[in-house]
Amino acid sequence: MEVLTPRSLDEALSVKAERPDARPIAGGTDLLVELNFDRARPETLLNLNEVPELRGWSRENGTLRLGSGLTYAEAMRAPLAELVPALAEASRTVGSPQIRTRGTLGGNLGTASPAGDALPPLLVEGAQVELGSLRGVRSLPLSEFLVGPKRNALEPDELVLAVRLLPSAQPQTFMKVGPRNAMVIAVCSLALVADRERGELRAAYGSSGPVVGLVTAPLEERDHFADTVAAAASPIDDVRGTAIYRRHALRVLAERAMERCLA
Amino acid sequence: MARLIRTEKEVEGRYEEVWTVVEEDALDQWPAGPLEVVGQPAQRQDGLQRARGEARYTADVRLPGMLHAAVLRSGVARADARAIDVLPALELPGVQAALSCEEVDFLDAEAGYPGAAVAAVAADTIEQARAGVEAIAVEWDESEPLLDPDEAIARGQLVSESSSYERGDLEAALAGADVVVEAEYRTQSVLHNSMETHQAVCHWEGDTLVVHISTQYIWGVRDELAEKLGLRPDDVRVVCEFMGGGFGAKNGAGDYSLIAAELSRRTGRPVRCALTRREENLAAGNRNATIQRLRAGARSDGTIVGLGGEFVNAVGWSGWLAGTDGPMQMLYGVDNVATMLRGAKLNSAPMAAFRAPGFVEGTFGLECLLDELGGKLGIDPLELRRRNHADADVLDGRPYSSKSLLECYRRAEPHWDRRHEVRARSDETWKHGVGLASQVWYGGGGPPSYAWVRVGSDGSMTVVTAMQDIGTGSRTAMAQIAAEELGVSLAQVRVELGDSARGPFASISAGSSTIPSMGPAVRSAAGDARRQILELAAQRWQKEQRTLSLKGGRIVCSDGGSWPLESLLGLLEDAQILGMGARGPNPTGMRVLTFGVQVAEVAVDVGTGEIRVGRIAAIHDVGRIINPLGARSQVEGGIIQALGHTLSEHRLLDPRTGTVLTQTLDAYKLPTIADVPEIVCEFVDEPDSHLTNLGAKGLGEPPIIPTAAAIANAIRDATGADVRSLPIDREEMLRALAALARAKERSGDRVAARPA
Ligand SMILES: Cc1cc2nc3c(=O)[nH]c(=O)nc-3n(C[C@H](O)[C@H](O)[C@H](O)COP(=O)(O)OP(=O)(O)OC[C@H]3O[C@@H](n4cnc5c(N)ncnc54)[C@H](O)[C@@H]3O)c2cc1C
Repeated sequence: MEVLTPRSLDEALSVKAERPDARPIAGGTDLLVELNFDRARPETLLNLNEVPELRGWSRENGTLRLGSGLTYAEAMRAPLAELVPALAEASRTVGSPQIRTRGTLGGNLGTASPAGDALPPLLVEGAQVELGSLRGVRSLPLSEFLVGPKRNALEPDELVLAVRLLPSAQPQTFMKVGPRNAMVIAVCSLALVADRERGELRAAYGSSGPVVGLVTAPLEERDHFADTVAAAASPIDDVRGTAIYRRHALRVLAERAMERCLA
Repeated sequence: MARLIRTEKEVEGRYEEVWTVVEEDALDQWPAGPLEVVGQPAQRQDGLQRARGEARYTADVRLPGMLHAAVLRSGVARADARAIDVLPALELPGVQAALSCEEVDFLDAEAGYPGAAVAAVAADTIEQARAGVEAIAVEWDESEPLLDPDEAIARGQLVSESSSYERGDLEAALAGADVVVEAEYRTQSVLHNSMETHQAVCHWEGDTLVVHISTQYIWGVRDELAEKLGLRPDDVRVVCEFMGGGFGAKNGAGDYSLIAAELSRRTGRPVRCALTRREENLAAGNRNATIQRLRAGARSDGTIVGLGGEFVNAVGWSGWLAGTDGPMQMLYGVDNVATMLRGAKLNSAPMAAFRAPGFVEGTFGLECLLDELGGKLGIDPLELRRRNHADADVLDGRPYSSKSLLECYRRAEPHWDRRHEVRARSDETWKHGVGLASQVWYGGGGPPSYAWVRVGSDGSMTVVTAMQDIGTGSRTAMAQIAAEELGVSLAQVRVELGDSARGPFASISAGSSTIPSMGPAVRSAAGDARRQILELAAQRWQKEQRTLSLKGGRIVCSDGGSWPLESLLGLLEDAQILGMGARGPNPTGMRVLTFGVQVAEVAVDVGTGEIRVGRIAAIHDVGRIINPLGARSQVEGGIIQALGHTLSEHRLLDPRTGTVLTQTLDAYKLPTIADVPEIVCEFVDEPDSHLTNLGAKGLGEPPIIPTAAAIANAIRDATGADVRSLPIDREEMLRALAALARAKERSGDRVAARPA
């Protein structure tokens, strides 16, 4: 297996254009599991760890730009944690300290699992995904980027550059149900924003359908909102839990999230 | 003097009558309580070695020219392997040998469970060996698997004869009882998942087979391999210096050591056969699932008049009947007891002993049932257990060699008293509660077991015995015992173990028997060396031997004189003092058992069904405590393993095909450190005055036994719901809460219903 390590974004995009089969690797916390379980045998790895443009985060006129290389550990730290508090809460529930130090937003988007914990908080904040290739940069709403279970809208020559969002600065939270207290892939999860400014409730559920799903309703519909969220989800039975339980738990989480955010 | 006696030998609850040569115990027990070294917390002598990665486990053994074996396993629950052709494998690069069930009798063409081994390949690298396994051509003749234990029993598919037990007249007792409860309990199958997977490295030195193996029983492996390979026992040398856990699943030789031995014989090179984590989760043994249909009846004063149980062990393709019925027969002083235990033969992986096999499962059912009974009677659970305390062994009226369960209960009181305060923390979402459960188990050990002690002129003292330290800290405990007897510091004693060619016979490390079996032998050997040292000292300083003793590294005379030990040993030059010791017999006519009680505090999120265990207080009675630090580790480890069994661990099978769905540690949920509660650990620490020269029983298993029931009882205390099935995952918890709500609705109990 060949590992290519570009030192700049330009270089990374050229490599990706030339070698569209090269699998990007950021933290490697998903990819190495795939390799280990023999689910993938890429001939070439594209190591993104030395590309400075993908790292960290910045603010431009109030819009946040989260580099695809942003780690969970970084998302948990102030001041970023105060700007996107639900993302920070979600980050704290990811894996273990080692995974949070290595794992990145870009990797979570690249994997596009319905259980990806970064996805619901980004979805309720109306995040846009910035995709880049030698052909140029394009931007997609996260809901359009996620096209199916573990499938996304990336073209073979594209990389995820960043996620952009305008922080709502509204009360928000993230909740996750798992079979133990740490190192768990969600049985189901929920992010919620109680947006008083827009008079809107926005919730996104994880592990309860083929993709992370967004549900919105006017604030006045608070009383039915938990049911609306549970009804919108399309969970299945698997080793982690049953569909019935997931729907029930989503309802409970939505109710609690509203209690917390509308208090 | 050596005597030949016929005696009962017990391992993990299974008794057999055997002829045994025993040596009388010449030593009196030490006084109770902490001594100079014994009873003092001692860090592991090999702690640094382990932490630095210097300790050599079987997984670290890399011999020159060593080959790697990979195993072809059945991918389905029930199939016959036909027309196996290993030739394609032999043509691949690096492959040196292959064998299949068609030519060796330790592999079976009838593959009765997913993961059953049918062929194996040895190659220069493990990757080449795996490629070889993939190349083997097999015709799998599949058939419908049998997976339901009740159905297996109905069809007469049993692994062995069922076991029934009766005392008194249960039906009459229940008919006359004031209160009768009846409930069905279920426990799931869980996996040992030791850190070090099952493995062996075998090679031949002439006609001698040398086996490096991760094992709990060096001598058992020696004898088993010798028998299966047609060798004399001493033509097999078994080595296990360090071991990464076994929990009962490494009591035997296993097919992997036979595979390695045979492939090594064919190639003339050392062969390593090590299970992967997936194989470990498929085919390395498990705690079998159980179904327990239980009844209990009591008088209104709390006297339990009858206990009855129909137990089904879902044993799997092969295995034995672990004593799920044991706690019901042994824990309480109940006159009328009837149990029936059946073992279902299924197309799932064979069970293996797992830390208190049967008793973990049976205690969950019995101790939950007791609280359900207590609830109906309106009697406090601790009080109910006191009232039904067994003062003498209930199986055959023998006296207990020692029993301090009532003292355990007394010490549990302050923990139990916290329940009012704990319950008061409850709010709309989180309900808090406290529960307890008792425990009975074996753990007395027994003869034979031997140790030698070698004392050199430099003052070094070495214990030599071919026992294994399975990770429990036996090395350190044995050193403590020898140091105490020889009146020297712990640092002065080293322990050489782990090699059948370099030391005398030592017992199995299973059934909580290492300390009670080996400890007395080590003390006896050290005592023999001490006697010889004092004999020499008596001559050197012209004293009567009975006036001399060893203390603080000195020879001390009752007339006030004392001399440093070195001043005597220094005279030895190349001469050595050699002490020999043997484990004395168990007290005849007595029942040797261990006891304890645990008190658990839990919080239940009644919305999501999440359960958090906040605190577990464990009070155990296992006789004298040798190393309080090591003992504490056993309690913590046992409770954490029990926590997984209670809340999150579950070997899941596809209900239709029988395929194992949880083959990795990603899918199989062991507890993490974030799940571990505060653990408070207390010991009665009262030597068993009848049990050998030490008065110490084993502690490996007792702490895992009562935890599940204590947690389930705490959940009932918190929520009123009866959880009767393990693991108590979120769905199970919500099911129990829903059942409670339905029951309340039926009884029209609107007051307690939760506001919407
Ligand atoms: C023990 C363990 C626990 C875990 N716990 C959780 C958890 O609790 N919650 C959770 O959500 N996840 C969890 N994960 C999964 C994983 O950590 C996350 O999905 C993480 O965000 C992946 O990031 P990464 O940088 O490691 O991705 P990588 O493994 O490097 O990559 C993942 C995928 O994304 C692609 N990719 C990476 N970067 C880019 C890019 N810039 N452009 C295009 N494609 C890209 C890769 O090619 C690959 O397909 C866990 C994983 C492990 C091993």
